[in-house]
Amino acid sequence: MHLLLLGVSHRTAPVDLRERLDFSSRDVGTAVESLATRSSATESVVLSTCNRSEIYVASAEPPRAREELIAFLSDYHQLTREAFLPHLFTHEDTPAAHHLFRVAAGLDSLVIGEPQILGQVKDAFQAAAERRCTGPLLSKTFHWAFGVGKRVRTETALGEGAVSVSFAAVALARKIFGRLEGRRVLVVGAGEIGALTAQHLRSHGVAEIAITNRTAAHADALASQVAGHTVAWDDMAHAMARADIVVTATGSQRPIITRADVEAVTGRKRIDPLFIIDIAVPRDVDPAVGEIEQVFLYNVDDLQGIVHENLARRGAEIARAEAIVAEELARFTSWHRSRRAIPTVVALRQRFDDIRRAELRRLDAKLGGLTPEARARIDEVTRLIVEKLLLEPTEQLKALPDEETQAAYTEAVNRLFRLSEDAAPPGAGDNESAPFTKPRTG
Amino acid sequence: MNVLPLVLYAAAGIAYAVHFATRQPHAGRVATTLLIFAALVHTFVIGMQTMEVRHVPFANPSRAISTFVWLLALSYLYLETTTDERAMGVFIMPMLMGLQAIPALSPGVENIDPVLDSPWFWVHVSSLLFAYASFGLAGVLGLTYVVQFKEIKKKHLGYFYTRLPSLQTLDVMNARAVAIGWLFLTVGVVVGAIWTAQARAAVPDDPNLQAMSLNDPKIFVAVLTWAVYSFAVLARQVMGWTGRRAAWLSALGFAIVLLNFLPISYFVTTSHTF
Repeated sequence: MHLLLLGVSHRTAPVDLRERLDFSSRDVGTAVESLATRSSATESVVLSTCNRSEIYVASAEPPRAREELIAFLSDYHQLTREAFLPHLFTHEDTPAAHHLFRVAAGLDSLVIGEPQILGQVKDAFQAAAERRCTGPLLSKTFHWAFGVGKRVRTETALGEGAVSVSFAAVALARKIFGRLEGRRVLVVGAGEIGALTAQHLRSHGVAEIAITNRTAAHADALASQVAGHTVAWDDMAHAMARADIVVTATGSQRPIITRADVEAVTGRKRIDPLFIIDIAVPRDVDPAVGEIEQVFLYNVDDLQGIVHENLARRGAEIARAEAIVAEELARFTSWHRSRRAIPTVVALRQRFDDIRRAELRRLDAKLGGLTPEARARIDEVTRLIVEKLLLEPTEQLKALPDEETQAAYTEAVNRLFRLSEDAAPPGAGDNESAPFTKPRTG
Repeated sequence: MNVLPLVLYAAAGIAYAVHFATRQPHAGRVATTLLIFAALVHTFVIGMQTMEVRHVPFANPSRAISTFVWLLALSYLYLETTTDERAMGVFIMPMLMGLQAIPALSPGVENIDPVLDSPWFWVHVSSLLFAYASFGLAGVLGLTYVVQFKEIKKKHLGYFYTRLPSLQTLDVMNARAVAIGWLFLTVGVVVGAIWTAQARAAVPDDPNLQAMSLNDPKIFVAVLTWAVYSFAVLARQVMGWTGRRAAWLSALGFAIVLLNFLPISYFVTTSHTF
């Protein structure tokens, strides 16, 4: 049984194509279900995020499955195959697992180390598992990938440090105030980045978000969006006096908050820190405000600087993360290889058991005088002998180090025991014995 | 006997340093385990000495330092387990190691003057030692607060920024340590005064007892310490002196404590043997 991966990602396809191949806008569960009914693959998982659409299947005949998957993609998304074929990547077995491990570890993400992807991989697997589209191979592979993602997260700093301006601002606020519960925020200006930062702060549990804007209607709109309340533009000073964190993001051409403004509200009495985040360009806050003792002033360049540093730090962790992926991949590959021996093992056992049963049938007449207990004992003993005879060859076959050797040994076992001519009947053992129903040549 | 705790504190110190540098959770757990083990061994050592001299060993400077180190280790462990914050260990351990080196190298002889053999005296000394241990913690917390504050203020988010707890956490821990320390300092000083009065009545011609007044540098500095920490507690409550000012105050306070504890004890004091 082979692991097959087909997909497009931000590395291979432009955004408009990724959008057209996206499964996540519609229900991924429905997609994986309809895929399962349409292909010969026995197991399937569909992973779809804004940066990738990938299909993982377990198939006995990868070339055939690949054709079926391409046809499925084309039908499901109403696209000609030519539209996406040049951007489609295909991996089989070890490279496919390698890809999945790197994705789960965040190494293949647009923003390296971003933490959401592991959850998305888990959700994709969950959606498929709930619809009984997964089986032993994909289940093992995906759980292995979850483990890789977790190891990379705990053993490297790949996901550490904020890599967007608004996250960097929140991280700083947490370094100053610890938990943000109970803190008060003032947002000056109702622009997009201001809204984004306010939302991040809200998700960290700030008690109050006050919004002020020259145009009150915009402030109202943002206030309802982040569950805040509006403050009249002229009352800004009063709101600032109450605030722990001030976010400024107006389109003003000259500073709207001067040192005197802040000193008027902080004065000599205030000792609690005031964190001012100036994300506007040009700046809303006079840089001299940062000289006030209890004020931490960060502008968009400062935050960008933090983001760049964090990205550089993540870059330094890539090698360590890749090493973990490689280590796990080696273990996965040897597990997967051991599974390839399974059809031969099943056929071998079948052959031995057939012989055993045939001999018992032949002796049936002579054993007629025995009690049922004694006959059961004979059956048991012969079965145990067969099992013990096969134990060591089975283990050895599974543990063979490389593909070539394994193929040679499998071939030898097939020939020595003439397994290919009357292999296990369909339905006996698992469906992995299917390839051996075909006559072998050579 | 005091060498083994020293070695274990050093081992814990190395583990805390590794944890601080690499931020591996595993190293942190090793560090805490080593420190707990060190504190247990130290407890045993102090227990043995107590059985040997029939009272808690702090009637000579060297042994008092050992007891102080032991209390500091326990206070730090309490702080670490209640806040789940291990970053401070790397600053506390050198202090433990440096102080523990004194009893480890010069054990001293516990030879107690019968004048001192009073329950008041034991309450006096143990309260003060515990107060000093708390101030030690507060001082280190204050210094780290200042370091962290400067890094954020100067937008230089470097080595310490990623490793130290938030300013708020440091401030809360500092406030707690100062408040507890102040409480024990107050008890220690008051009990000391009461006991001096009683002892004077009992042994009127003891020269040490006669020398006990504010003119004694040790007593003077202790009262000064009390004034500084009283101000710190009061300023936080009434004037809202938190954060950086509280941090500097606790660092200053502990500098005075150390001054009193080491040079004054060994060289200039007249009425106190330590």
